[in-house]
Amino acid sequence: MKRREFLIKSIIGGTALSLNFPLFSQIKTFPDLAMVKGEDPYKITKRAISLLGGMKRFISKGDVVVIKPNIGWDRKPEQGANTNPQVVKAVIELCYEAGAKLVKVLDNPCNQARRTYARSGIAKAAKSAGAKVYFPDPRHLKKINLKGEWLKEWKVFSDFLETDKIVNVPIAKHHSLTKLTMGMKNLIGCLGGNRSQLHQQIDEVITDLSAFFKPCLTILDAYRILIKNGPQGGRLSDVKLQKTVVAGIDYVAIDSCGTTFFGLKPEDLGYLRLAYKRGLGEINWEKLRIGKEKL
Amino acid sequence: MEKKSSKKFLIIQTSRQVSQFFFFTLFIYLLLKTQFPNGDYIGPVEIFFHFDPLLALITFLSSHIFFAAFFFSLIAIFITLIFGRVFCGWFCPLGTINHFFSFIFQKLKLKKRDKKFNLINWKYLLLIFILICSIFSLNLVGILDPLSLTFRSLTISILPSLNYAFNLFINLLAKLKLNFIADSLVQFSYHFTINSHFHQGFFIGLLFLTVILLNLSTSRFWCKYICPLGALLGLISRLNLMKIKVNNESCIECDLCSTNCSGQAQPFPNEEWKITECIYCFKCGKICPVEAIDFKFEIIPRKKSINLERRKWIFTAILGALAIPFFRIGPSNKRSSPQLIRPPGALKEEEFLKRCVKCGECMKVCPTNALQPCLSEAGVEGFWTPRFVFRIGYCEYYCTLCSQVCPTGAIKELRIEEKVKIKIGTAFIDKNRCLPYFNGINCIVCEEHCPTSPKAIKFVSIEVKLPDGSIKKPLAPVVDLDLCIGCGICEYKCPVVDKPAIYITSIGETRSEKNKLILEGKF
Repeated sequence: MKRREFLIKSIIGGTALSLNFPLFSQIKTFPDLAMVKGEDPYKITKRAISLLGGMKRFISKGDVVVIKPNIGWDRKPEQGANTNPQVVKAVIELCYEAGAKLVKVLDNPCNQARRTYARSGIAKAAKSAGAKVYFPDPRHLKKINLKGEWLKEWKVFSDFLETDKIVNVPIAKHHSLTKLTMGMKNLIGCLGGNRSQLHQQIDEVITDLSAFFKPCLTILDAYRILIKNGPQGGRLSDVKLQKTVVAGIDYVAIDSCGTTFFGLKPEDLGYLRLAYKRGLGEINWEKLRIGKEKL
Repeated sequence: MEKKSSKKFLIIQTSRQVSQFFFFTLFIYLLLKTQFPNGDYIGPVEIFFHFDPLLALITFLSSHIFFAAFFFSLIAIFITLIFGRVFCGWFCPLGTINHFFSFIFQKLKLKKRDKKFNLINWKYLLLIFILICSIFSLNLVGILDPLSLTFRSLTISILPSLNYAFNLFINLLAKLKLNFIADSLVQFSYHFTINSHFHQGFFIGLLFLTVILLNLSTSRFWCKYICPLGALLGLISRLNLMKIKVNNESCIECDLCSTNCSGQAQPFPNEEWKITECIYCFKCGKICPVEAIDFKFEIIPRKKSINLERRKWIFTAILGALAIPFFRIGPSNKRSSPQLIRPPGALKEEEFLKRCVKCGECMKVCPTNALQPCLSEAGVEGFWTPRFVFRIGYCEYYCTLCSQVCPTGAIKELRIEEKVKIKIGTAFIDKNRCLPYFNGINCIVCEEHCPTSPKAIKFVSIEVKLPDGSIKKPLAPVVDLDLCIGCGICEYKCPVVDKPAIYITSIGETRSEKNKLILEGKF
């Protein structure tokens, strides 16, 4: 770039900024992360998305959206092992309001699917919001190239491939191998096959999966968090009420922010270190613009 | 006048068919309802069994406990005292299946005329054998009871086969690019839990097929010669009030009624009619060309009935008594089998065997297909009783369905709070196969899936020497014996897929006093 060219371009750019186009300034003021605390999981979810600029920023008209909550375990909502059904419901409603054509909800659970879908309360909540609740159909498993650094090929449910957008709606929980499971680890639920083998290189797998799926939005449900005996807990004493929802695009930043609920640092988690190193997101989440609110 | 009479039997026949259809559909409906009800508690889906006086009598004799729900069987007895063996002809699902296939075989001209075998007494002798055994606490009724047999065969063999066929059909649809239909059908099929993998599925199916194919030789072969419930109801119906009346004046002695009788009850000649064999299908009334047959209520008992030769039934009774030691000489009475992991809530082994009628209710309702019919694990006596096979499924932590559907209380009904405290076995780690122990690789899948809180599988840091001499320090699982309930999810999920590195054996089970591992209590 020549000096003159540079000067002209900076003048044009500078003028454009100072003129303060309404659209331009609006995008600029949206926070990278929205963190809302409050009594009602449904309301704080909706508020968090509106802080981010509304669902229209993420979902376009006519989109097919797959929502990936954590429905892994045969546990009730108060046990904090699955995503809060009210959070899921709020996200579905927002997707439809933003003009989504179809919202699908599915997960490949660890316990029997019928039990987890029913007892987590998610199937009922999702249906009431008009979403299609699908059970993972083994026929949909496709062996694909995940282009990962470590995970090259694995079986993935095609529902997560043949879609316009993926919205990741995890819950924040303790996990003994990875220390914590939040947004990035939640994506293991998109896989089939002998998943238990993935434990052998879990941090690498989680990083590869996040890079592959790139959810357009991650909403971390930290209303109830599981502080011990994760990832399924059981006793109510394993659960802590955090009453928070964190939302944003940068899944590394969201998971990093989530570590603070457990008194940990982002660097304590292997997959966050790895993801940061690979430039997938920001581990120093406090540097970002954060929209904080209390309802 | 004549027309009116034939119309009457036409109506009766039609209502019999309606009744058979209705009760068979109900049986199938309840069978399909025997699955996870989207909540914690299931309704009385096992109610059919409680109307079975044979199950009631035999389990009472063998266990000396009358299970309250069996009071319904008094209704069946009461009906039999008034109308005779209508249970067989109008309600019994196996009777309906046999009736249906007899009809089909006849229509397809696969069989011509019913052969008559002189085997009517067999079923009474079988009943006496089972009865005597039960008096000596050996419960064999489940093998031949028609309801148990039907439910078990459908659960273990027929439904899994249909499920397999369904999958073939779905694959065909997918190949024809009808993915939308295939997907909707698959999603719909998720409303039913069809357990599709069973040990002995082939064998049990073969037996069921035999029962059906026997109808080729004579209609309702099973009902005429084998069914012990039919025999019991036959004995009760000796006192029943509804009796056939053949008008000897109009009878032309064509013998059509006797040749076509579904029960080999011999309506003609009238004095030869066997009240114990009539299942009240009213075929004779409809087929009679001169409408000479009628049924009337009559208090005076008929003299003619089955002739159980005293010699034979006494011999059978003695045989029954002598058979008991043979059933009990297996090693299972000496020491508990490690593979014999009973459902949570199962009574002590002796009590369990006295009550279990091998119906397969628990195997149908199990959400993970983990409950399987025993072959030899529980001895000959425990053939087809349920046990866990954790390579096929596992015991879901918050599930008590098997205990709720057990029709005889062999599995005590549990609430969830009670169930989570019951130990059905103990997990052991095979350190020679466990990845962290023998190769230093991180894994702990078992710990992740362990459902108790606090977890019964903990992990510790260990040092492993690798083949190249280097040392690795992975996390390795250890089992906390106090917390492990033996649910088997660790065995099921273990990534060492062929022969798991963590497995359950029955030791430490709550129900047994002998099969204990660690010292409990104070001395």
